[in-house]
Amino acid sequence: MSALRHIVYREWITRVRRKAFILGTLAVPLLVMGSMAIGWWLEQGDNQKSRVLVVDVAGMVSQWDERFESWVPICPDCFPDRASLTYRFAAEGMEDEAFIASDFDVMVVFDDAILQHHKAMYYYEQTPGFDLQAHLKTDLSMALERFKVKETQDLDFSTYQRLKTQVSLVGQDIVTRDGHAVGRSLVGFVFSLFLFVQILVYGMHVMRGVIEEKINRIVEVVISVVKPSVLMTGKVIGIGLVGLTQFIVLSVLVWIITLVGGMWLEHADVLKSSSDALVGLDLESWIAGQAELNFLLDVNWPLMIASTAVFYVAGFALYAASFAAIGAAVEQESDAQYFLIPAMAPLVASYFLAVVAIENPEGPLAVIASFVPFTAPVVMLIRIPLGVAWWEVVLSWLGVAVTAWLLLRMAGRIYRVGILMHGKRPSWVELIKWFRHAD
Amino acid sequence: MERIPALAISQVVKSFRAHQALKGVDVKVNEGGIFGLLGPNGAGKTTLIRMLTGITAPDAGSISFFGTPLTRAHIAQIGYLPEERGLYKSMRVGEQALYFAQLRGMQRQEAEKRLRVWFEKLEVEGWWNREVADLSKGMAQKVQFIIAVLHEPRLLILDEPFSGFDPINAQRVRDAVIELKEKQGTTVLLSTHDMGSVEELCDEVALLNRGEVILDGPVHALREQARDGRFTLRFLGTIMEFTVAIGASAELIQVLHSESTVGEHEVMLRLSPEGDIASWLHWISGEVKVVACTPWQPSMRDVFIETVENRESNAIPS
Repeated sequence: MSALRHIVYREWITRVRRKAFILGTLAVPLLVMGSMAIGWWLEQGDNQKSRVLVVDVAGMVSQWDERFESWVPICPDCFPDRASLTYRFAAEGMEDEAFIASDFDVMVVFDDAILQHHKAMYYYEQTPGFDLQAHLKTDLSMALERFKVKETQDLDFSTYQRLKTQVSLVGQDIVTRDGHAVGRSLVGFVFSLFLFVQILVYGMHVMRGVIEEKINRIVEVVISVVKPSVLMTGKVIGIGLVGLTQFIVLSVLVWIITLVGGMWLEHADVLKSSSDALVGLDLESWIAGQAELNFLLDVNWPLMIASTAVFYVAGFALYAASFAAIGAAVEQESDAQYFLIPAMAPLVASYFLAVVAIENPEGPLAVIASFVPFTAPVVMLIRIPLGVAWWEVVLSWLGVAVTAWLLLRMAGRIYRVGILMHGKRPSWVELIKWFRHAD
Repeated sequence: MERIPALAISQVVKSFRAHQALKGVDVKVNEGGIFGLLGPNGAGKTTLIRMLTGITAPDAGSISFFGTPLTRAHIAQIGYLPEERGLYKSMRVGEQALYFAQLRGMQRQEAEKRLRVWFEKLEVEGWWNREVADLSKGMAQKVQFIIAVLHEPRLLILDEPFSGFDPINAQRVRDAVIELKEKQGTTVLLSTHDMGSVEELCDEVALLNRGEVILDGPVHALREQARDGRFTLRFLGTIMEFTVAIGASAELIQVLHSESTVGEHEVMLRLSPEGDIASWLHWISGEVKVVACTPWQPSMRDVFIETVENRESNAIPS
């Protein structure tokens, strides 16, 4: 047991202190967050209002106001005074030089032709941002709609707006009255995707680690001290813990950044009018305030997190055992492809089954796949947020755990023979012989 | 009362599919001695050593370790330096040595204390915190040697321990092996092709060929046994004259050295069975000018080559 502990620790520490791991775990999310913060900061720094000149040649959206002695919008609601945008109107366009010399950022030309092809030309000296373009599109569309309605007999704009309908679909389970199934299955998908990626990435780490020990010839010293099965198990556990460490560090890091960022935003009095500032401070009440995220409150989080942990440990052991046996059988990674394809096939299949499960989480394919040990870790996580009986979840856990234990034992037999074999890549028949004659 | 041997290998058989790597090997290694395990490549030495270290098990036969059947529990009392050896490149030197010591059940503090002593003895003390990747081959081998001996094993198995060392470091490791034997009473099983080391270090040897022990015994006895009346003769003259002169009285086995400028030659000879060396020398002195005559003492290299070659030629069906 002591030897296993030392092996696990060695596998873990030598990986988590590598620059690549530290950079991948710490620097990448920090860089992503940092770049987002820089983008936000630049956006804040660039907070002067864009001035847009709407050249309304045909007088469709603006009219002359004697009091102000200027062109004003016929529909002021169509051109709200936004934080980042202000409109001015004119009946005639400006010459290029005059526009460049003016303090306008964008000039939109609104003429008769727009009624036919629904396209408005706009001119700029510096390309306007996506935000500005989106606002322009919304505002101009609404103004044009208003103009069209005004031209229509027996229809006023307020009636038109009342009649205008956009249907949105709200689903509900007829038995459970549950209306958030799709959203919750997406939660499951995020977790299962994480599991899929971790198993794949760190499973490959196990294989590479075994190949490295074999090529390096250090394995003979190690297995003269501990049993090969102990070495293999230690490697699987150690590398599995590396993946878990990465997940924990990333989670804590994201949580801290969200918390600190939220506090900072509040402190900076930014977005004060919005509940956005409370993101990191009171997640639950914030979610409750967002109708489209209500489904998050319906997820059984303790079961979800426990299942993710169990499926990560057992699922990783299940696949890592195969990867370890493959690593022991070959001397270079390119030779491993021959064995990797069938070994990885169930994992890849489980990803596609997960996609199917999102579409139809209670369909026979998803239900069966959530009990088959090779696909259960990824697929069951999609079904759990939808409300699966506890015994079904436990059965799935047990299936994966028992299969992982069996595979570790089987892989151990191939490993103990393969790890000392050098030369050409063995065939499948030879692998079976190694397994049968490992004693 | 007969002493219990450190290792008693009896009728050990091991096969890998159709190939029989060991065919009933018997070897007895006395406690506190250095035992040489010799043999050409593919003779079965590594297979035998892997059994001793618990990596593989014999198909038949028995191995006893200081009087009790060898089990994995004995592994902690065995130190092993394999021929194919490496180190973890991603670890520091001291950290790696500590790792192996702890794998063998040593406490960290004790291991660290012993490591400091060994690092100083083999002059690697400045490398404690260096990456393994920075070590030269010889330096890495010294670290590997330290890892094998650190836990003060009762039996130390060294497979080609001197290959890759320069003469100074090879001697340093030889001295360390002798010290282990003399001060700690460590039994050493040495597998090597370096016959100079065998003569210098080993008390006894066993010569394996094609999975069988074809020769074993104390080194000095084996060398004595191999003496077969050969002697070397230095003379002035020509080889042609000498060959004609000796006729059938002696067999010219080999011309060892010729100095053509002064006409001095050194040859190896063996007299006919009825010949007498004293009278033969008296007679040949009349034919050529004899400078020196020395009885031939075979080296372990000679013993090795002759034994294996004889065995091979006998094995070839006529």
